[in-house]
Amino acid sequence: MKTNSDQTPINDSGELNQPDNLQNGGDAVVNESTIKDDHRSKETAENPENKDEVVEKDRVFEKQINKKSLKYQNAIQRAKNRTYKAFVLVFLVLVSLVVLYPLVYAVSAAFSPGKSISALSIVPFGSGVTTSHFQRLFKETNYIRWFRNTLMIATATSVSTILVCSLSAYVFSRFRFLFKKTMMLALLVLQIFPSFIGMIAIYVILLRIKGLDTLWGMVLIYLAGNIPYNTWLVKSYIDAIPRAYDEAAKIDGASNARTFFSVILPQASPIITFLAIVSFTGPWMEFIFAKLILRSNENQTLALGLFSFVTDRKNEFTMFCAGALIVAVPFIVFFLITQKMLVSSLAGAGVKE
Amino acid sequence: MRTLQSDGSSRKKIFIVSLIFMGLAHLTILKQYVKGALFALLEMVMIILAPKIFRLLQKMITLGEPQPDLPIFEKDNSMFMLIDGILILAVLFIFVSLYFISVRSALSTYKDYCATDKLPESKKFLSEFGAKAFPIAGLSPLVMLILFFVVVPLVFSASVAFTNYSAPGHIPPNNTVDWVGFDNFKFLFGGNATWTGALGRVAAWTLAWATAATVTCYAGGMIMAVVMHESKIKIVPVFRAIFILPYAVPAVVSMLVWQNLLNGSFGTINRTLIELGLMTQATTIPWLSNATLAKFTVVLINLWAGFPYFMLLTMGSMTAISKETFEAARIDGASRSQVFRAITLPSVLYQTMPLIIMSFTHNINNFGAIFFLTGGNPMVSDSTTTSAKGTDIMVTWIYNLTINLQKYSYAAVLAVCIFVVLAPFAIFNFRRTKSYKEGEL
Repeated sequence: MKTNSDQTPINDSGELNQPDNLQNGGDAVVNESTIKDDHRSKETAENPENKDEVVEKDRVFEKQINKKSLKYQNAIQRAKNRTYKAFVLVFLVLVSLVVLYPLVYAVSAAFSPGKSISALSIVPFGSGVTTSHFQRLFKETNYIRWFRNTLMIATATSVSTILVCSLSAYVFSRFRFLFKKTMMLALLVLQIFPSFIGMIAIYVILLRIKGLDTLWGMVLIYLAGNIPYNTWLVKSYIDAIPRAYDEAAKIDGASNARTFFSVILPQASPIITFLAIVSFTGPWMEFIFAKLILRSNENQTLALGLFSFVTDRKNEFTMFCAGALIVAVPFIVFFLITQKMLVSSLAGAGVKE
Repeated sequence: MRTLQSDGSSRKKIFIVSLIFMGLAHLTILKQYVKGALFALLEMVMIILAPKIFRLLQKMITLGEPQPDLPIFEKDNSMFMLIDGILILAVLFIFVSLYFISVRSALSTYKDYCATDKLPESKKFLSEFGAKAFPIAGLSPLVMLILFFVVVPLVFSASVAFTNYSAPGHIPPNNTVDWVGFDNFKFLFGGNATWTGALGRVAAWTLAWATAATVTCYAGGMIMAVVMHESKIKIVPVFRAIFILPYAVPAVVSMLVWQNLLNGSFGTINRTLIELGLMTQATTIPWLSNATLAKFTVVLINLWAGFPYFMLLTMGSMTAISKETFEAARIDGASRSQVFRAITLPSVLYQTMPLIIMSFTHNINNFGAIFFLTGGNPMVSDSTTTSAKGTDIMVTWIYNLTINLQKYSYAAVLAVCIFVVLAPFAIFNFRRTKSYKEGEL
């Protein structure tokens, strides 16, 4: 279906040709063709030999019909479409305003003087613009340290999640072994639980392996929490890669590991990219385990640092917004760039399972 | 003893020999020395460690004795005993699985022998070892991590439901904890009017919340996707980019921003409404401080945060419907709403069904949407005793019970309840998967 009505070609009769007339002007089309058919059958009955002339007359007649009946139909149609379009546009603009309102307000708060939200003007950027919060973040707080810690945790989590999940998914997809079905079902049942239900046990286990108040301890927790769902996700994707590829590699003498790294991983790169984004973004704002495990000042993460601005004791909403803005902007840019891929990956997750 | 029949009659003998000692059948009858030795070595290690294992299991059963005379760090710590016991059970579980595998392997080697009339050579086994070890090596990180960081914590949490591990009076290391059977379940399911009432209230709200959150986000996302798909407006990509924003911003940040905007006394939304003359200082709307209104607000804000996901999803599924289908319907004179009802809705619904179920289970456990927006507030009549507040769902209540009240045993009972309710959904989804249907598993 054509979707672009702004490019309306002009047909030979000088009439504006509405591409939409097939969609909503169904009745008009039907009427027209009956008239045409009647006319044509009369003509052919009178002059059966001279077909060319009939066709020529037919065309002229068609033009006349077009001019008379379609002129009226099209006018209604155009008016209808215009109101519909205007209605849709107003709807989309209204929704956009609701979607943007809190975000714009948060951005304006990051640049507004003052601390609490109660002192801010109700109009975004209404109380003036200042960068003092950003200066304070970098000079008076440990923002850079928080950022570095979180970046390290997120990178390590992302890399290890990709390795463990894709390798396991490959094994689940291509090998037959004992307990395979049980393990797959177990993963699916386990993924419904938020990890913090077992947080006391996780605390004690980290205590036993000396992982308390360390960044690698956090990585282990996030990694284990990522595995169940994402292994399923990648497995469904690898299932759809034709086995002919790995069989060809095997015939050429490649080992299982070689096949995995040089055949399966490149083929699965869309889902791997998706996994990389999701597992990288997850730890940035994780709060519960970070608060439980990371106690010392030097091991704080961004989530912990930002939350310290909006506790019950002090409400420095503007500082919180400034700190969050620095993290959120790269996220948003990233999502906007990869949105096409996100759409197909999300749909793939639904279709293939 | 060494004579092996190839007609299948020695199957029972092999089964018994392999069961007596791990790897014995491989060593004596089947002549697979390397494999047999490895299995035997494993069993020997386990036998050497047996007394220690036994002691740890015993401690897990008794959970320690009260020792009021000893200094704190020398007292029996019931929780460490319980967790160590569960860790040992996990190790034993791996051992029993390997035992099972060794018996299976002996029997399958014998089956091959019956078919080919000769035993596999040890050399061949070594060359095949690399290939056979790959699945084991590939899965071992997953198994280890899942076992020790997911399964053991969850089993621990489930076990705690059957103990009296709660404040005050039973918090190690000062006091020990004991097994109490189903006492906690009885207490929460009818034993105490306040707690039972709170449980009923929170459970009902959790289900209502999960249903409302899933339905609103799904419907909202689908409406936006269809409207943008149908409209012939040129700047649709701009709108799409705007609508993705709530999905791109970390939910924690947006929830905290909303919390401040919606604050009853100094929130921007109420102040704006006052400025516009729509209400006065005295009649401000208690968005998050009235128990009933807060529930609607939470669902509404969750719609704001959650519709982009389903919008992206629907857009992805709609591209999978062939354009010819739409075109054919329109030539036949179908109106926009007819096309939507007869083509778009059924096919998108069919494709996204597993994800709707998944989203429902996710919303039941949607900690962030509640915790960071309302923190469970406002307080209701039983909140001081039970720590369950007006908008608390099961998981946030579990968090409150654990962190604030230290009633670990009750928190564990709630976790068990969630498991019982949600496990069927997971199994249903499992049975729907393509690989399960095709019998590949």
